[in-house]
Amino acid sequence: MKDIELDAIIEDYLQGKLTAAEASAFEELRVNDPSIDQKVLTHKVFLESLKEYGRVLSLKEQMDRAHSQLDVAALSQKLGPHPSVIVNMWRKNRSAVAVAASFLLLTIFSIYSIQHNTKQNGTYEVMRREITNIKNNQNKLVRTLNSTPRTIKGPVGAAKFGGTGFALTANGYLCTNFHVVRDADSVYVQNNKAESFKAKVVYRDQQYDIAILKIIDNSFVPLSNLPYKLKKNNIGMGENVYTLGYPKDDAVLGEGYISSKTGHGGDTTQYQVSIPINPGNSGGPLLDNYGNIIGVITAKENQVEGATFAIKSKYILEALNAIPQDSLGKKPAFAKKNPLQGLNRTKQIDKIENYVYMIKVYN
Amino acid sequence: MSNKLSNSVPTDREVVLGILNNSEDALNRLYVGYFPMVLQFILNNNGDEDDAKDVYQEAIIVLYNKIKGGDFELSSKLKTYIYSVCRRIWLKKLSQQSKKTNNLSDFEDVVAVEVDFEQHEEKEIQFEKMGSALVNLGEPCKTIIEDFYIHNLSMQDICEKFGYTNTDNVKTQKYKCLQRLKKLFFQS
Repeated sequence: MKDIELDAIIEDYLQGKLTAAEASAFEELRVNDPSIDQKVLTHKVFLESLKEYGRVLSLKEQMDRAHSQLDVAALSQKLGPHPSVIVNMWRKNRSAVAVAASFLLLTIFSIYSIQHNTKQNGTYEVMRREITNIKNNQNKLVRTLNSTPRTIKGPVGAAKFGGTGFALTANGYLCTNFHVVRDADSVYVQNNKAESFKAKVVYRDQQYDIAILKIIDNSFVPLSNLPYKLKKNNIGMGENVYTLGYPKDDAVLGEGYISSKTGHGGDTTQYQVSIPINPGNSGGPLLDNYGNIIGVITAKENQVEGATFAIKSKYILEALNAIPQDSLGKKPAFAKKNPLQGLNRTKQIDKIENYVYMIKVYN
Repeated sequence: MSNKLSNSVPTDREVVLGILNNSEDALNRLYVGYFPMVLQFILNNNGDEDDAKDVYQEAIIVLYNKIKGGDFELSSKLKTYIYSVCRRIWLKKLSQQSKKTNNLSDFEDVVAVEVDFEQHEEKEIQFEKMGSALVNLGEPCKTIIEDFYIHNLSMQDICEKFGYTNTDNVKTQKYKCLQRLKKLFFQS
């Protein structure tokens, strides 16, 4: 069989033009002769490619005809990039511009808020406690139930404000904040055994927010020697400190550290302390690990977490010096050697507790 | 931003049925309907009108093959599909011209068309090969082959068209031409 005839037969076979008998005869030939089989397959692939080529070509012709109906120039005019460079830049870089803008905004905001923080615009909140009637009623109930043999002294009415104070001398001089006793008609102090004593304000210093009280109650028994001493020098940042105060009717311990050597708005008469305090803590002593008094709790910043302010102990001494020596009785007898030094925290507090008072203010 | 397409755009169903029935009208309407979308995309991404035409026609061929292939499932809108294919083709062309391909401005949603695109690339290679083989074949062989296999003219028609004395001569001529074309096609 010549190649040309074989080719014609293969083509007819692939296009299904052979009769059934011819087709089966040819298939037998294919099976017996691999070279013919190979030729059939090759031709099949080739024909398909050619058909495909033809199809795509005619499709392209059709599309070209469709394309010629379009007014491409007018469309490009309408849909193409805007002739203005600026509009184009905006369209292409829209997302980048958006990112840049939000970054800028963020930066402005954060700079603003940092400045905001350095100014410490947050209001300065003094920590005296307004005692509500409800609380007081509860207290009275508890005390009645206890029915201690001691008669409870002091006025029966409700105290308006509460704070904390601590003994400066054994004969009844106490230190507290000026703002605690600011509008006081009468002041009572209460120790940790719930004994109340009448006191009067003998010294006020609005500038440093310090007040000195004197217990004038007859039932007051002079204390034994003070366990702590006033530290005259400044203390370093990071020093661990603690305070005892009366944010409720029992003494509460607060612990923290000196977080800045200056107070609200850079006030050099104060420390900033990171310590949790509440209304009622005002006037409480701030002590270091060795039991030295290093300051008086006065206030906290209400928009900043953990920013409490304490007046440096130096100004307590100045206040003490302003009081005539003879009325102080004995010279404020701060121990030369600190008896608290070396004791652990619990023992220290045990001793100090008797010298920290709740200040109750009536007006 | 994206301009509204004219009302003459056929529904997706019309297009699929039209292509299956080889309707030229359906193809026409499809072509006219979505060309502005592609033109807008290409013009705004460093291309010109001719690029738009080439890319768009390739995309239509991809769609056509997909529908004709029989396994066509409309998982997205036709518009989205065409746009995605065009986008993919244009990305390839841009990278061939070593232009930057990030930061394309998009005007439509995009669906994944990677599989279809790869199939299309293979077919495109076959198409190019056949095209160049036919060009190298030269006349009159090219026309004889095209007339017989693509335009489906009979031997008699070709015989008359080329002025052969009888169809056997045409058959011999066609056979020789075909052998050469095969050689060219499989060699390239």
